[in-house]
Amino acid sequence: MDREKAPKRPVAEKGEHIIARHMVEDENLREEKNLVIDGVDVSGRWNTFILSRVDSDFDRSFFREIKKTVVGSRINRCWQCGMCTASCTVTPLYRRFNPRAYIYMMQLGNLREIKKYIDVAWRCVGCYKCSQKCPKQVNPAEMMEALALLIKKYFPEEVESKLKDDEKVKKIYDDMILGNGRLNLATLHTKSLREMGRGMELFSKVERDAIFKMIKDGRAFSVLMLGKSSGWSKSRKAIEKYLKNVEGMERIP
Amino acid sequence: MDNNKKQVAYYPGCALLTVDRAYNNSARLASEKMGIELTPLQGYNCCGIGEMKSKGAASLYLPLRNMMLAKTTLGSKELVMSCSVCFHEFTRAVERVKESEEELKAVNVIFKEAKEEEYIPDGRPRHILEFLYNEKGPAEVRKNTVRPLKGLKVAPYYGCLYSRPSMYTFTDKNPLMDNSERPKFMDDFIKEMGAETIFYGNEVQCCGGRNLIQDEETSFRLCSQTLSKAKKAGADVIAVICPKCAGGLDVNQPKIVEKYGKDSELPVVYITQLMALAFGFSKKKAQFPDMISRPVEILKKKGFV
Repeated sequence: MDREKAPKRPVAEKGEHIIARHMVEDENLREEKNLVIDGVDVSGRWNTFILSRVDSDFDRSFFREIKKTVVGSRINRCWQCGMCTASCTVTPLYRRFNPRAYIYMMQLGNLREIKKYIDVAWRCVGCYKCSQKCPKQVNPAEMMEALALLIKKYFPEEVESKLKDDEKVKKIYDDMILGNGRLNLATLHTKSLREMGRGMELFSKVERDAIFKMIKDGRAFSVLMLGKSSGWSKSRKAIEKYLKNVEGMERIP
Repeated sequence: MDNNKKQVAYYPGCALLTVDRAYNNSARLASEKMGIELTPLQGYNCCGIGEMKSKGAASLYLPLRNMMLAKTTLGSKELVMSCSVCFHEFTRAVERVKESEEELKAVNVIFKEAKEEEYIPDGRPRHILEFLYNEKGPAEVRKNTVRPLKGLKVAPYYGCLYSRPSMYTFTDKNPLMDNSERPKFMDDFIKEMGAETIFYGNEVQCCGGRNLIQDEETSFRLCSQTLSKAKKAGADVIAVICPKCAGGLDVNQPKIVEKYGKDSELPVVYITQLMALAFGFSKKKAQFPDMISRPVEILKKKGFV
């Protein structure tokens, strides 16, 4: 092959070849562009050096707080083997999604680190592969719910700016399930799209076809007939009272 | 005849009574042929569909209230359900309160507040696939098949929550339950109906259903992988056992095809629909026209309808 015609490889970014690059902070990464040691040229990636990380600002009180919740009650069992991240469905799609690291941050109560991952931490699809593989039955899938609770409590502004859509949809679910005791899927779909500012999509051909089909075969009518669970108002009041009185992060102010 | 039928308490769930009635109706037809009558639970409430987990004991109360309802109104400690998400929520609640006295106490506080009976951990939720397999078995499917689905290549899709996690579902642990890595109950049913099963590697992968609304992008990617892999392996249809998987694979399929191309175009059916078809019911009774991915076309081509 003609070597001269082959496209020139671009110069690598600093530390680009490190697999979990996002886990290394910029200031901890040392790499000299031009360096000769004892007459040997070690320019670029040949001299990459990562300064060891020191976590000093941790707070074990978070640990106890998470342990009190139903979803995070097994946080003490984790020994950081990494099977959760290895089996994760989401990690190959979003490299910064790393359940093992999140659990470690929660164990240490390292809020400074957790804050960096707020934009991606909610992407768990709940496939439970991690909980299946976990040798210590930590149940990482539910630990991600505990992480969401923690984020909601300590970073309300970040949630407001970055996780607006997710929170809006969650609220529709909550209102419907607690309100009627049943889930109306048609309303859920249309309301979520509208709340997320995508209401116009409801008029697209795919959506129109689906809605027309359901009206024609009578399913739209059955959605209207779904109704309430019997004797639900008592249960609703009991749940609301529980959520007001529960101690810790599950509490609703 | 009716006296010979075994009656069981059945939890329909919100999706199956409305938009996914195809699964509900075909499950009832198929079970009836196999000698099981599903008695629906009246006045049921939502299981929480995975969105209530961060609400502590309230997320355990929702399914357990249905278990109590089954016990008081139908006199049954077992509750059969078709939806995998409901199945997951039920097994989760039942197993958790069995294990942790603290959580049981917290749930019973809610029960007491709602002036309902106290929950004693004795319930057992069951998925309809596992229930039919263990109660009747594949032989019963062969016996009832009057219209063998010869030549139909079916890709079984089990999804996540039918078999995972073992700590709730007891797959791999209880010899009567399915395997979590290579489940086979659906495969056996398909073979007994005369159809062919396809191995395509994505049987227990996720459809991204939990964030179907909030995070369409992820769900589309995962679904397109599953659909295109099954199509590449030569499947005619993909068979599912969960309305949420159907939501991702079937209802969203036009959008997925728009984004990822024709490779992801594959008809989606519920396994119970295929069973109802093999047992001699018409396509209308099995409600194939309800599916958005148009399975009727391929079934017509193969000469089953």
